[in-house]
Amino acid sequence: MAEVHVIGQIIGATGFSESSLFCKWGIHTGAAWKLLSGVREGQTQVDTPQVGDMAYWSHPIDLHFATKGLQGWPRLHLQVWSQDSFGRCQLAGYGFCHVPSSPGTHQLDCPTWRPLGSWQEQLARAFVGGGPQLLHADTIYSGADRYRLHTAAGGTVHLDIGLLLRHFDRYGVEC
Amino acid sequence: MNPKEEKVKIISQEFTEDGVEVDAEVERRKKSRIQRQQKKKKPPTTAPEEMVSDKSHEEYQQKMQETVEEEPESHLLSVTTRRGPRSLPPIPSASRTGFAEFSMRERMREKLQAARSKAESALLQEIPTPRPRRLQSPSERESETEFGPEPSKEVQGTRQEDDSQSCSRVKFRDSVRKIKSKPQAPAGFPSAEEAYNFFTFNFDHEPEEPEDKSNAKDRDRAQEDEGREEETPAGRAKKTEEEELLNGKDAEDFLLGLDPTVHNVVAVKPAEYKSAHVRLQKEKETLFTPSRLAVPTYKKLPENVQPRFLEDEGLYIGARPEVASTSQNIMENRLLMQEPVGKWFGDDGRILALPSPIKPFPSRPSLSTQEQSAKAELETLYKKAMKYVHSNQRMIGSGDPPGNFQLDIDISGLIFTHHPCFSREHVLASKLALLYDQYLARQQRNKAKFLTDKLQALRNAVQRGFNPEEPHQTLDATQKTINEYKSEIRQTRKLRDTEQEKDRTLLKTLLKVWKEMKSLREFQRFTNTPLKLVLRKGKVDQKADEEAYEAEIQAEIQELLEEHTEDYKKKMEEYRASHQQWKAWRKAQRAKKKKKKKAAEEHTDEEEAEEPFPEEDVVKPIPPEPTDPGLIEQQVRERAAHSRRRPGEPMLVPELSLAGNVTPSDQCPRVEVSRREDVKRRSVYLKVLFNGKEVSRTVTRQLGADFRVHFGQIFNLQIFNWPESLMLQVYETVGHSSTTLLAEVFLPIPETTIVTGRAPMEEVEFSSNQHVTLDHEGVGSGVPFSFEADGSNQLTLMTSGKVSHSVAWAIGENVTIKWNISKLSFLKSNTVATSGESYVPDFFRLEQLQQEFNFVSDEELNRSKRFRLLHLRSQEVPEFRNYKQIPVYDREIMEKVFQDYEKRLRDRNVIETKDHLDTHRATVAKYLQQVRESVINRFLIAKHHFLLTDLVVEEEVPNISILGLSLFKLAEQKRPLRPRRKGRKKVTAQNLSDGDIKLLVNIIRAYDIPVRKPMVSKFQQPSRSSRTFNEKHSASPSGHSPGHSADYPLGQVLVRPFVEVSFQRTICHTTTAEGPNPSWNEELELPFRAPNGDYSTASLQSVKDDVYINIFDEVLYDVLEDDRERGSGIHTRIERHWLGCVKIPFSTIYFQARIDGTFKIDIPPVLLGYSKERHIIMERAFDSARSLSEGSYITLFITIEPQLVPGEPIREKFDSQEDEKLLQAAEKFQAECNLKFPCRHCLTTVIDLSGKTVFITRYLKPLNPPQELLNVYPNNPQATAELVARYVSLIPFLPDTVSFAGICDLWSTSDQFLDLLAGDEEEHAVLLCNYFLSLDKKAWLVMGSAIPEGPTAYVLTWEKNHYLIWNPCSGHCYGQFDTFCPLKSVSCLIGPDNIWFNIQHYDSPLRINFDVTKPKLWKSFFSRSLPYPGLSSVQPEELLYQHTDKAAAAELQDRIEKILKEKIMDWRPRHLTRWNRYCTSTLRHFLPLLERSQGEGIEEDHRAELLKQLGDYRFSGFPLHMPYSEVKPLIEAVYSTGVHNIDVPNVEFALAVYIHPYPKNVLSVWIYVASLIRNR
Repeated sequence: MAEVHVIGQIIGATGFSESSLFCKWGIHTGAAWKLLSGVREGQTQVDTPQVGDMAYWSHPIDLHFATKGLQGWPRLHLQVWSQDSFGRCQLAGYGFCHVPSSPGTHQLDCPTWRPLGSWQEQLARAFVGGGPQLLHADTIYSGADRYRLHTAAGGTVHLDIGLLLRHFDRYGVEC
Repeated sequence: MNPKEEKVKIISQEFTEDGVEVDAEVERRKKSRIQRQQKKKKPPTTAPEEMVSDKSHEEYQQKMQETVEEEPESHLLSVTTRRGPRSLPPIPSASRTGFAEFSMRERMREKLQAARSKAESALLQEIPTPRPRRLQSPSERESETEFGPEPSKEVQGTRQEDDSQSCSRVKFRDSVRKIKSKPQAPAGFPSAEEAYNFFTFNFDHEPEEPEDKSNAKDRDRAQEDEGREEETPAGRAKKTEEEELLNGKDAEDFLLGLDPTVHNVVAVKPAEYKSAHVRLQKEKETLFTPSRLAVPTYKKLPENVQPRFLEDEGLYIGARPEVASTSQNIMENRLLMQEPVGKWFGDDGRILALPSPIKPFPSRPSLSTQEQSAKAELETLYKKAMKYVHSNQRMIGSGDPPGNFQLDIDISGLIFTHHPCFSREHVLASKLALLYDQYLARQQRNKAKFLTDKLQALRNAVQRGFNPEEPHQTLDATQKTINEYKSEIRQTRKLRDTEQEKDRTLLKTLLKVWKEMKSLREFQRFTNTPLKLVLRKGKVDQKADEEAYEAEIQAEIQELLEEHTEDYKKKMEEYRASHQQWKAWRKAQRAKKKKKKKAAEEHTDEEEAEEPFPEEDVVKPIPPEPTDPGLIEQQVRERAAHSRRRPGEPMLVPELSLAGNVTPSDQCPRVEVSRREDVKRRSVYLKVLFNGKEVSRTVTRQLGADFRVHFGQIFNLQIFNWPESLMLQVYETVGHSSTTLLAEVFLPIPETTIVTGRAPMEEVEFSSNQHVTLDHEGVGSGVPFSFEADGSNQLTLMTSGKVSHSVAWAIGENVTIKWNISKLSFLKSNTVATSGESYVPDFFRLEQLQQEFNFVSDEELNRSKRFRLLHLRSQEVPEFRNYKQIPVYDREIMEKVFQDYEKRLRDRNVIETKDHLDTHRATVAKYLQQVRESVINRFLIAKHHFLLTDLVVEEEVPNISILGLSLFKLAEQKRPLRPRRKGRKKVTAQNLSDGDIKLLVNIIRAYDIPVRKPMVSKFQQPSRSSRTFNEKHSASPSGHSPGHSADYPLGQVLVRPFVEVSFQRTICHTTTAEGPNPSWNEELELPFRAPNGDYSTASLQSVKDDVYINIFDEVLYDVLEDDRERGSGIHTRIERHWLGCVKIPFSTIYFQARIDGTFKIDIPPVLLGYSKERHIIMERAFDSARSLSEGSYITLFITIEPQLVPGEPIREKFDSQEDEKLLQAAEKFQAECNLKFPCRHCLTTVIDLSGKTVFITRYLKPLNPPQELLNVYPNNPQATAELVARYVSLIPFLPDTVSFAGICDLWSTSDQFLDLLAGDEEEHAVLLCNYFLSLDKKAWLVMGSAIPEGPTAYVLTWEKNHYLIWNPCSGHCYGQFDTFCPLKSVSCLIGPDNIWFNIQHYDSPLRINFDVTKPKLWKSFFSRSLPYPGLSSVQPEELLYQHTDKAAAAELQDRIEKILKEKIMDWRPRHLTRWNRYCTSTLRHFLPLLERSQGEGIEEDHRAELLKQLGDYRFSGFPLHMPYSEVKPLIEAVYSTGVHNIDVPNVEFALAVYIHPYPKNVLSVWIYVASLIRNR
């Protein structure tokens, strides 16, 4: 019966080698969570920074959850994509972070990574674009043994998230 | 510099601040002293002699001395300072300093200690390697302190070493470097301080020092030795070695670049080592090593106990875990050593052990599969950089690899049902084949047999029902079931008869065609086709057959007779009842006559009152005729002969075979030979076009002699784009000349469930419009030919044929394709609207311990009203969409919030008859609701598609023309003579709330309002004479003449009208004006409230409320009881009489933004007490034109304040089955038209109910009106047309915008429209136009705008020499030059085969020419460049009309009457409502008359009759007429007339309802409401 409001924005991203970036995002929760209102996933616009190297999206996130337990606390997964001069899109990084559990505003930095692929694929990526992508996107947040995966670091996505919790104290959860 | 020193320095600074001029020397000493203090138990061990004449050395010694001198240190310090021989800078007050120093020192010590430990720990961290073991020995530390006496330059360094003696040197250096954040002085150079000390040092006291020092040293050493002895016994032994080591260290120091002098002081020692032998020796002494040898059993057991082996005794002992025997032995030995015999050993003398827990086989599933899946999960796929296409739904998902969809098109063959090269015989053959196919199909269904069986079964059932042997049913029930059976028998019989008849006729035609063919073959003396019809005669037993036949007929006769007798009985009863009545009446009449004769003349008054049925002319009933069984028998036999096989007639079974011989070519005449050759020259191929692009073509195949082409090719299309159209083009080549396109065949895109292997072969027919004439036997195509020799009975056949094909989705071995297909279907259905809960991750996750940690159970979570409300709101459920401010607590949410919603959910499948009173309408309402829901879902999705312009508002950069215009504006007059209305600012709907929006109604004036008839208002108490006068007068048809106006009393006006506007149950009214042409010029302001407080565009569009503008007459009545009071007071009562109303839907106002114009007032056909004042207007010349048309008019201006932005039309491209070319042409045409006349709306394609784009002309097609209507005026086409228009207008009007939020116009076909019984202007217009077309009128659909509907559709017809414009919703027609025609502009005309756009300068129907043949005036869609392709109609072949059940209508009528009566009583809560039954029955008789005459021309009769009957009442009332849709509008209409508002105490009411049923459940409702006040 406890409620959680997740209100905030995806501010932008830094540190990506590509310039025109956009971000697909989604919030994943456990089975005990119920989305009361808001959009669970979305996509930002493509931002091409003119000054500095930070791509600003300022994409709003506004969700309202009801939960009957703590398990499966909402998690944010992000995919940063870049758009090249031909308007083609390719993956620039996967990211994942937990939504904070204490009320108040939080500044989150979510580092991202992308699969590296074989050397042929790397070569192809360098010249013709595209790139390896995960077949199962839930690998981003599920704890499968990822050590086999070779990845390269992407940039960082910056988020500003405010949390409102309600009735958690009623169930003995202090926050 | 290490932190310690830094601290010291800070402290020294503190001193200076204290005002004590502390010498640097002192400071130095202090420092070292402090060091000493910290390690005061470690005096130097080296010989003091070695430290000679060195400044620092001496200093050191001094310090040593100080150290020796015991605490308190404060003393010590003061002593030293005092005693200190060195001439320090003068100390002003030693004691003070000392005191200060005491506390300071305490602090310093703490800090130093802290700093030191920190540094040490830092070092320790730095060097985790084990320290040398000598470390423990204090002697070594001691030795290191001897580093102190170093050259002065090295002081700092040494000190640091002091701190970290324990570390190896090199590392130490490193660490020093590390710790040193800012070196104070470079190593090897004296600091300024040191230099100063050096030069100012006083060496006087040097000789004393060694002694002191040695003393101290001795003592120190003694102490130390003791301590060492205490420490370890082994420590002492190492001493010598340590010394050596020290030397070595010194050497190291040297190596490290220390001063070579140090070398002398340091002793080098060898590494400490103990020989292994010694160590072993020692270890032996202290350690116990259990032996590895096995322990004898006796040792392990208590004494005198024999080992006992449980296993031998037959007890189960588990397998012991595997342990190496040596380990076991060691363990045993150890245990024995510890406690000789104990609990560790079992009875068998072995160590106790539990059975091995290890299972012999693994219980976990093998890991191999898991590992694989994990790998699969991590699998990556290289994806090409891809472009996003905006309209996502037209693509197959962005992320899917392309080419995963495959459409298999199997084209097996082509059969021509007609071809130019067909010979006459072929034509017949194809006809024969067609008929035979039909015959086979019918044979297979064998409906006649089925029905016969059914009939038989029913008859048996009835027989059994009569059988009294079955007692288990009550008599009543049996009777009931038998009746049911009988009615069913009747129906089944009828059906069977028709079926049998059809069978028979089919057989007959089949035979006829075959005969024709045979004769043709004979005639031409050769055969072309192998077709052969063989008739097989089934054997029949003549006798049995005859018997069966006779029995059948007898049974039928029997039944019919029964029916008839029943009928007869019923009629007889009726007759008897009416006859009795008649007799009674006759008697009464006779008695009356007698009475009359007797009675005197003055009694007439009473007599009249007594007369119960003055008008009812009871006719003598005619007795019904009994039925004649002979006649019935004759009828039955006739019918049987017609439709059934005669008894004894052989059963004919036709069989068509291809066994016949075709005459070889050499035996044929020349023409035939050339025909055959021509056929051989022809070949056919097909092109496959996907989305309008050719993707493949079949091989070219020669046309066979039987006009069949076999292809048998399968085309696999790998598709990427969403399939929009799939088309086959049939091409024909003649010889080697060019190919001609015969026809285009559109194939339907298969459902996603249809996959290869499951798709059935289908045949699609095609036809071509080519005209071919051939010079041989071939009949050609599109040219008339005849079978007869004389050329009569001509036939025109077009090339046509069938393509058999199958289209299916392919399934690969790969599962993903299948999955993709399902996704495709998802995309197609496009119903993402079920947002929220639909998110189900596609993996399964065990939620461990979820249950235990749940706060609440699922049920409780679902029970939360707040959550539910929030969820429903976010789902945009209609009831909760835009619900604002959901309460924070559950307890604040009322349970009733959900009631409506839950009710709707419950009722979704239950048809509620209560609201609708009529099951048909209830089902229709349900259906409409479903269509609406699906459309709304569609639009909800479409609404979320944004274009750039929706998100980015960019003002145009001003260019020179705009600039020039604005400059021009500067010169404009400030107050122009003819001001123009300025556009108001539009307000977007979202930031509005209740009370922000107002409806402004400006009522300007009215024309030609009906005026009161003088007598009614004049005579308060009509005397007998006046009444008779009235009677006489009203009976005269002239109604009113100017002469009567003289009857008005002075000052009494004709009428005092005022206007009342009611909207959403708010009512405003104007002041009262006078006269039939009043001018009010008043503005009324009505608040507007949106449903649910939702001011979004979608919600505003669907506001169903109407604005009622009612015109009333205010009548004053004198109620003075006593004439004597007249002088002193006025007692009048105001009554208002309803005159008429104008109804404007809110949606019209919303879309039009403003409504401005003169409207016809809807005045009831009979308005008692009022008449039209015609002569007054006639006098005015300028209004004469107006008076030509009858009726009253009112001028209004209505708008909404603030102006609202009407919603944008939804941009969604709907899929279509139209030809791509046609759609493109339509778009082009529309764009061209819009460019020329942006405000004229051009319509080429519309959306049908299933959401597909359809070309508009497909809607127009002659359709038959109900036969009933045609029969009314068989000889008067004009009257018939009007009747048909009336019928159409009786179908309720329901705007699309209301039913479908989002501005989209869905067009339903006429049969859908008639089924739904609701539609807006377009549907009405289409139906009317189709009716007119079938009445052989020239009719067009007019798209234009009218008042007050806005953009709308009208119908235009051409009557002999003039045009008529029909309003399909009201049924009225207007001449082209009628000024009061509501149609104000015409933008395009639509006919069944073309669209014409108005390109004339004007668009008012008054000023344009409707001659569409003039290309300068009308731009046509299909022209010479784009000929009309012959589009088939979407309308049905013909409309079927059921008769409306009269009984149901009557029942409905009663119910409506009851409801309305109850409502009126409800509206008058404070008064008693009396009903005048007599009056009601009178009115009820009158209403059917009104329907028959359509409300015209009977007013006078009616008035007369009423007056005759209700003479002593003042009567005001009127009939209302409207189409029936629901009860609610009827109630609204009655309410708006305000009849119930009369509160005169003795008022009585009368209300009558009449429903006239038209075919197809179209009901015309008449409601007569009246109030009566008895005159005193």
